[in-house]
Amino acid sequence: MLLRASSQAAGQEVDLSAAVEDATDGGVEDGVVLTAFAEAVVRATDDLDTARARALETLGPAKFVEAAATVGIFNGLVRVADSTGIPGDPQMLESTADVRGPLGFNRWTGATASGVAEAPA
Amino acid sequence: MSFEDSRFPVPVREDMTAALRRSWADIGRPGTWWTGPERVAIAALARAERIQRNEPPWNRDHEESLTPLPAKAIEAARKIGADPTHLDRDWAEATITELGDAPYVELASVVVTTVAADAFCEAIGIEHETLPEPEAGEPTRERPDNMGDIGAWVPVQVIDWQRANVARALSLVPEGVRTFFRMVAAMYSGTATDFNEMVWDHRPMARPQVELLAARVSALNQCFY
Repeated sequence: MLLRASSQAAGQEVDLSAAVEDATDGGVEDGVVLTAFAEAVVRATDDLDTARARALETLGPAKFVEAAATVGIFNGLVRVADSTGIPGDPQMLESTADVRGPLGFNRWTGATASGVAEAPA
Repeated sequence: MSFEDSRFPVPVREDMTAALRRSWADIGRPGTWWTGPERVAIAALARAERIQRNEPPWNRDHEESLTPLPAKAIEAARKIGADPTHLDRDWAEATITELGDAPYVELASVVVTTVAADAFCEAIGIEHETLPEPEAGEPTRERPDNMGDIGAWVPVQVIDWQRANVARALSLVPEGVRTFFRMVAAMYSGTATDFNEMVWDHRPMARPQVELLAARVSALNQCFY
């Protein structure tokens, strides 16, 4: 998982539960703002305007654009994986063996499609 | 011109708007297996369905479709666009049997390009871009060599592949790869060298921030990949 690898490269220890739990920054700067913004866009929640304004105010214009771009492109990337059933990469499966079960990843529908659910823990 | 700078509430990098414009125009052009009007129809169906994503599928409004698309293509555009967590191998195999594997992959490439651009608009706070005018012309119907089975639902490039599997998921339709992954490079990964670096200095945000967003979007879509 690139969240863990990039955090370790930056000398930080990240809590991967931030990927799935609300109100957790996981040790990532502005993590709560970022995840709230992502969730508001993906789920088209009523507080999207508020989440967007908070993201812009907290991050500033340049980082806000990057955040919007990341949320946008990953809405496409997940559909690339899910519509083609592309298998997970061996390196990714190996590096996430310890967290897939505890964080519930193996139960996701996409985990079945990508072979993650059957991969060794 | 699509994605005009004046539409954005804050300045957007030029390489990002350039990629969005080129890929958006690609949707309207004749593809490899679908015509321009068919490709725009696929984009319109995906968009209309995704807008209603918080409604269960059986409760959504479907305008009487005037598109020339076969029923299975209409279903696929809607399902991939709005319900990616409901996709499974049985459904994909039935769809591919009816449409063909390469037309299915091209359809998916149009949907994912549309969804990514639409989600970006929603995130940054502007209306969805107007769909491109379809261009006349015939699909090329060119199937690439060196496709094989790696366990995906569709054949993918198998010769000398060193990158992440997701980057070859659409390789049965190279034009679809170019259209979508041009946006991926501008909006996320940068060059291959950039992507392999765990510490980024080519983007304003630190890479862990970018990857947290990526992880959260993936989790919300129940996509482990």
